[in-house]
Amino acid sequence: MAVSELVHPEGAIRSPARAVPDLRKWLAALVVAVLAVLPMLSGSFLLYSLSLCFANAIAVLSVSVLVRYGGEVSIGHSFFVALGAYTVAVMEKHLGLGLWISLPVALLMGFAAGLLFAVPSRRMSGIYLAVASMALALSLPELLIHMERWTGGFEGLYISRDLLPGVAKAGQRYYFALAALILVCLAMAHFRGSRQGMALLLARAHPRAAEAFGITRSWARISVFALSATLASLSGAVVAFASSTVSPNSFTLWSGIFYLVGSVVSLQGTSLLAALVGGGIITLVPQYLAGAGDYVPILYGSALLIVTLLANSGSGLRRLLPGKGA
Amino acid sequence: MAIIHAEAAPETRGALVASGINLSFGGIDVLKGVDLDLRPGLVTGLIGPNGAGKTSLFNCLTGLYHPNRGRIALGDTALDVLSPARRAGLGMVRSFQHMALSPDLTLLENVMTGLTLSRRSGWGSAFLPMPRGRAETQDARRRAMAALDELGIAGAADLAPPELPPGTQRLGEIARALVGGPKVLLLDEPAAGLNAVETRDLTRALRRVMHPALIMVVVEHDMDLIMQLCDQIYVLNFGKVIACGSPEAVQADPEVLRVYLGAGDE
Amino acid sequence: MSGLFALFQDLPTLLWSGLVSGCLYGLGALGLVMVFKSSRVVNFAHGNLAGLAAFLVYGFSSGVLLNLSWGSAVALSLGLTCLVGVLAYAVIAPLVFKSDLTSTIATLGIGLILQGTIQIVFGAEIVSLELPIPSFGFGVGGLRITAYDLTVLAVTILMIGSLFFVIERTKLGIAFRAVCSNPFASRVCGLNLRLVHLFSWVSGAVLGLVAALLIVPTTFLSSTTVASFMLTAFTAAVVGGFSSLPGAAVGGILVGVAMNLFSFYVSPEFMNTFLLGVIMLTLNFFPDGLLEKAVGGRV
Repeated sequence: MAVSELVHPEGAIRSPARAVPDLRKWLAALVVAVLAVLPMLSGSFLLYSLSLCFANAIAVLSVSVLVRYGGEVSIGHSFFVALGAYTVAVMEKHLGLGLWISLPVALLMGFAAGLLFAVPSRRMSGIYLAVASMALALSLPELLIHMERWTGGFEGLYISRDLLPGVAKAGQRYYFALAALILVCLAMAHFRGSRQGMALLLARAHPRAAEAFGITRSWARISVFALSATLASLSGAVVAFASSTVSPNSFTLWSGIFYLVGSVVSLQGTSLLAALVGGGIITLVPQYLAGAGDYVPILYGSALLIVTLLANSGSGLRRLLPGKGA
Repeated sequence: MAIIHAEAAPETRGALVASGINLSFGGIDVLKGVDLDLRPGLVTGLIGPNGAGKTSLFNCLTGLYHPNRGRIALGDTALDVLSPARRAGLGMVRSFQHMALSPDLTLLENVMTGLTLSRRSGWGSAFLPMPRGRAETQDARRRAMAALDELGIAGAADLAPPELPPGTQRLGEIARALVGGPKVLLLDEPAAGLNAVETRDLTRALRRVMHPALIMVVVEHDMDLIMQLCDQIYVLNFGKVIACGSPEAVQADPEVLRVYLGAGDE
Repeated sequence: MSGLFALFQDLPTLLWSGLVSGCLYGLGALGLVMVFKSSRVVNFAHGNLAGLAAFLVYGFSSGVLLNLSWGSAVALSLGLTCLVGVLAYAVIAPLVFKSDLTSTIATLGIGLILQGTIQIVFGAEIVSLELPIPSFGFGVGGLRITAYDLTVLAVTILMIGSLFFVIERTKLGIAFRAVCSNPFASRVCGLNLRLVHLFSWVSGAVLGLVAALLIVPTTFLSSTTVASFMLTAFTAAVVGGFSSLPGAAVGGILVGVAMNLFSFYVSPEFMNTFLLGVIMLTLNFFPDGLLEKAVGGRV
């Protein structure tokens, strides 16, 4: 009984904590409903931008998964996104295969590339991983440009096959991207409560405690990286299908950094709303502020600094709050 | 001081036995030929002044350090080179001196991570709500809740650890360690950071969860906890066991008195 | 036999030019390592700051911003670059010693801001920036040594020499070494942690400026060449173990030579992929740097 007295504020804390997810659920449902009927109301350019926005939201989410579950930061996720995108494009161009086959292959490629990158780097500390991911992102354009026979070099490749023949192109691109994003968010919500998800969260906070329960660091690093790379590759496949073109220009070090910007701005959330915020910021800001193009890096850079500094002072404030005294 | 070997009697089956443990760091001997015999059903305390080597010995048991010489075995299984994760697979769990619960998980979910090794659900059910994975999660949740209940903190199940007082967090860590039904529970200064009331609750809770098949080992400075909780106590000084026996016997041992009082004089 | 000879007849030239460019990568890496050693921050803005510095020299000497002599342009840019370095440190000072994640993200933010500034002020143009040195050269046993090569070597030796003098012989240097080996103990001892951090950030900025000025004549200057230079400096730092100053210098030379050999004998088009390979192999097989045993972690 003495112990339960110590936790007596539970009622006060628990009820608002329950009310907030409920509100969020409704908001998410509302957003999905609006997005689902939008194609009937709006022009094709908006639909095109939104499809890209959904695809980028998945890429942002893949970085958020890495940060949230792995405590690692990557600025080279453009590599895995490009891998997915080029898998779809190359399979159509050279093998004549459509998305039904190339999408699963793209996922497998992302998974394999994630493993390939994570296994040698499984013992690196976080900063080295960030440096290695930068090298990954910088090596990508030269690989794409000089493997011209497959990748189409500077020009890139076009994707023209439909997912569902006979259905309007803009519509199927839009709904495919939206469906992919929603499915990923649902899967990630389920993952949070799974054995693996909880093990990763423990390993992130206390690697040694996790080890004492059989969760090794290398398992955690490899799992979270493979998962994140698979998601990034999926996002690439969606980008390729939604924009119907791939070229090295879309996958530079800057794209990798922008995915991180999206992730930081969405506070590494893995919910639909967070992913939409992140994807929206990195897709729509450059599109609608085209005149202010040169200001975009400054805007993004300031966003990174502001969010980081605020989050830092936030945790400082939390420490000062009463109620946690020893 | 008599050393009883594992083979000596049938009730020692499944005992955690360390013999002739030597450990040195950079030429400095931290442990010099330590022998331990930890039987199921007994709570063993490791005490000694600062720098006596009790934390090093504890870390040899958990697998963080590997002794330069000597053997450690759990039952018939040699542990010498096994990593902490592999030892966890054999049913050896531990708690940490500094709170080591994930702030991103609720207390209940933290306890569920203690079942990670015994759960079989694959990556498919990590992303999709498959019936088998669901049933397993339900079962894990039930067992974790039972463990919390046994320690008297079921009311805090849905709260995040940072919202909880240190005493509750510590009990949560112990629930996480116990939920998988371990053979050995190693406690690293469980009373660190707790006030007197919390320490008293902790001592009671630990006595309550003790059962005849469990080996419990405690490293602790708090003498009240040690004396109330332990069935046998090893006293270390300068890397050697200087006394071993029941709390009463150890308290009366002249060598122990000299070490503790002597240490106080300096 | 003659084929084999042909294969190696370019070797002295490759080694020599690798050594020269390697000195510059070493200078870049030294800046990264100084900041990392003292404040545990991997400065992803390092390359952007160096790029900005080179652009400032260009802007002040070419008439884009001002029309100064080369020397005054460098002096003015040096002042401004140090100021930016100080400002950058001031912004992220609250995040120092927090998680790697936080400081990495913050320095990336600073890098983006600097990058945007370059784009706004100088646009996306590609400019060339020469050093005011006579163009002469002489041959030594088949090796052609130019005034540029000698300048690079002299400046590198001067920079490293003065850096080591400061670290080994001055009070500030003692504080720097103390902070590097144990930041928390030295705070207790009353050393001014912030001053030491500022010293390392400003030194990093100066080293970056010098390296950028010297490297630009061999390529050209644009707002994107910086990223490749930064990656090379990072690779040099990783090869050197990331927290060893001699390691960074030697790592730079090793990477410079290796890049030259790779680009001549294998392919000049996959430079960044080669660096990726070097980073992954080093981190996997020599997590404390290739030179850990040879040089040791100490200053």
